[in-house]
Amino acid sequence: MKRDNDMQGMTKNDLIIRIAGEGGEGIISAGDFITQACARMGLEVYTFKTFPAEIKGGYAMYQLRTCPQRIYNQGDTFDILCAFNGEAYDLNRDRLKPGTAFVYDSPGGDFEPDIPPGVHAYPIPMTLTARELNSPKAKNMVAMGALSTLFNIPEAALREVLSAKFARKGEAVVQGNLAAFERGRELASALKKTDSFAIKAAETKRDVVVMSGNNAVGLGALIAGVEFFSAYPITPATEIAQYVSKHLPKRGGTLIQAEDEIASISHVVGASYAGKKAMTATSGPGLALMSEMLGMAFMSETPCVVVDVQRGGPSTGLPTKHEQSDLFMAVHGSHGDAGRIVLSVEDVKDCIDLTVAAFNLAEKYQCPVLLLSDSSLAFSTQTMPYPNPDSYVNVGRKRWDGEGEYRRYALTEDGISPMVDPGTHGGMHIATGLEHNEAGAPNYSAANHETMQAKRFGKLKGVINDFPAVEEDGEGEADIGIIAWGGTIGVVREGLQRLRAEGYRVKGFYPKLLWPLPVEQFERFGASCTRLLLPEVNYLGQLAHFVRAETSLRPESYTICGGLPFTPDMIVRKVKEMLA
Amino acid sequence: MNDTAQKHLHRVELKSKEYKSDIPVVWCGGCGHHGVLTGLLRALSELGVDPNFLVNVSGIGCSSRLPYFVQSYKMHTLHGRAGPVATGVQLARPDLAVVVSGGDGDGFSIGGGHMPHLARKNINMTYVLMDNHIYGLTKGQVSPTSRSILKAYTTPYGGVDEPMDPILYMLTYGASYVAQAFAGNVKMVTQLIKDGMEHKGFSFINVLSQCPTFNQIDTAAYFKSICNEAVADHDVSDLDAAMHVVNQAIREERVPTGLLYKVERATLDERMAALVEHVGGHPDYDLRKIIDLSRP
Repeated sequence: MKRDNDMQGMTKNDLIIRIAGEGGEGIISAGDFITQACARMGLEVYTFKTFPAEIKGGYAMYQLRTCPQRIYNQGDTFDILCAFNGEAYDLNRDRLKPGTAFVYDSPGGDFEPDIPPGVHAYPIPMTLTARELNSPKAKNMVAMGALSTLFNIPEAALREVLSAKFARKGEAVVQGNLAAFERGRELASALKKTDSFAIKAAETKRDVVVMSGNNAVGLGALIAGVEFFSAYPITPATEIAQYVSKHLPKRGGTLIQAEDEIASISHVVGASYAGKKAMTATSGPGLALMSEMLGMAFMSETPCVVVDVQRGGPSTGLPTKHEQSDLFMAVHGSHGDAGRIVLSVEDVKDCIDLTVAAFNLAEKYQCPVLLLSDSSLAFSTQTMPYPNPDSYVNVGRKRWDGEGEYRRYALTEDGISPMVDPGTHGGMHIATGLEHNEAGAPNYSAANHETMQAKRFGKLKGVINDFPAVEEDGEGEADIGIIAWGGTIGVVREGLQRLRAEGYRVKGFYPKLLWPLPVEQFERFGASCTRLLLPEVNYLGQLAHFVRAETSLRPESYTICGGLPFTPDMIVRKVKEMLA
Repeated sequence: MNDTAQKHLHRVELKSKEYKSDIPVVWCGGCGHHGVLTGLLRALSELGVDPNFLVNVSGIGCSSRLPYFVQSYKMHTLHGRAGPVATGVQLARPDLAVVVSGGDGDGFSIGGGHMPHLARKNINMTYVLMDNHIYGLTKGQVSPTSRSILKAYTTPYGGVDEPMDPILYMLTYGASYVAQAFAGNVKMVTQLIKDGMEHKGFSFINVLSQCPTFNQIDTAAYFKSICNEAVADHDVSDLDAAMHVVNQAIREERVPTGLLYKVERATLDERMAALVEHVGGHPDYDLRKIIDLSRP
């Protein structure tokens, strides 16, 4: 998708709107309304939000990218900035380039900006108007009205989503907000429009949903047939529990808010032993607490799905910010030699597809499956084709056929021993964290431990063939191959498109399965590239570390850890630097 | 009572020895835990629990080896985590009988954070705490219930911590069935486990169980001497009365035994079932109705 910032006299169809201000001012809801309206017009949307770790106050930002074509990431920078306060202006003034549009709170706001030459300025008295209307909380609606008029966001669609959202707060609230919205439209109509940004409805409308990454994980779990869910609240994963809490009872499932993450993973292991498809969702600090039980789940061969919505660390770190820094812990975070399967998601669609895959793998291989998401994706709302639940295949665990004497940990050709649910006659056995023989009885002999470790690790060899585990972007030989995982993939996709448009020979490699590392696929990709680049949002270069350790490849690490994802232009610049 | 609570009872007729697995018991001679195991096997027999519908869950410690010796489904989990693992089993399958066994360190030190929640949520299970006032499997360190005068390997000059009283905590946490016995009184242990398993809700039974190998002061004779032989005669549905009996005994350096408190209230699985019913929940509920909510 080519973005041309120098287009003159033409209406751009790939637009980025950034709304920024103080947390609690309704930045997020205004952004959500516009997002919904754009999606109703048949456009693709991709949002990116940052907000403070505090409940009130602090800088909050909502960035909406919308386009008739598929969008892979949040984009480089905004075309339109809407600033609610001086801090929002200060933090974004460097990006007010000639050609950008700037809507801001004035007069009556807490700042008076210097408008750089070439910037299209639209002062709207947001605070003042909301106060005049006796709806001080409706400042965001004044702003939204102004944006609607200035950039052709259909009034009717916005009125609909606004009314629907505030309906449960009563008619007075709906009317108050609509009045503020209307006033914002009038104020903007009085201004002379000097830019050419306008949102245009798509020519064809597709059947889509608009979901956040967190909600999509919850939906993926429902599609996969989750029967039991336990979790402890933690930013930025909590919405997964909230989504599942709302909908799982409708499917007759069981959920529990645990006293801590040790309890939540313990609940999951217990429920899975009892025969249910079970999962938990957390962030890095919670995963750290779960690591001992994940070892137990591997040792006792108990299926379980754990979603880790990564945030900035270490320790409490940057709890609302973006980072891809839990890979080491996801892969190796337990004592002893403990195995597991680690997947990572690229976008909202993956959040559904790979959550289903995670359940299928957990049930098939009887081990923990960790699914890595991140805080940007957690809150990013994106359009995706309507997910038809019938198009997904759900795999259940292999169960004992009742023949002969039951041995829970029977040595089989593929290493997978049939399970049995409590209540089955003849199936009594122990699930244990102690090393054990085929029957489950404690056995610490050298030969037994070696046999059983080989069984537990050996069964994971087939994982690579069970789902689309890797994706290659581009063909033939390349001067630079970029390896990316998680949320960085979408950024690389667009970066590569731009580079190719300029004639660069570049390719991408996107593993969705991170552990066991798909070594052969890495090697094949590496062999077709002269140099390899591996951008990731963490300090240590965690995937690069594993690639160097497990393959013959020596990717050049490109790491950032400023709490924000990469942007496509960073990838483009880096590749050009390397080839300069 | 919902249609699954205690459904596992009175299903079979088996002798207590038929509930014993083939795995040999590994506890020391003279260990109180033998009495608890005997009591559990007898209770299972008297209740007619189908071993196929029984799940024994434990954490880590000498007492946590108990499930190996019982004919049933079972899980030997992590130190301190038997309670939450058993919670998962019970909520997933409310038709199963769930029994947790563990020690004082397992339950009240490393696993202490889970105890209030097992109790307040009223998880339908029986928790038998084998309280020997010592860490046995790690060979002789003080536990949260060790008396201050105990010289263990981590307190060679005498203890510095005050002991806690498991019963007092469980009453405070809201357990719906609280009882206590001495392991040497197998008859009482049997009776209380039986009552506890018949009780719908979280039943907690603290059994004073001597460790002859590592705790030289809390011997069988000592436990016997401090246990009130007569079962307390207060109104067991009265929490204040139960607290009074326990506090009085603590002041007198004695231990009240028998059933101390019992109340009927909804279990978590019952409340979950009611919630599912309330929303008209069903495994065949059309996912499209949920997905449609995310259309723009």
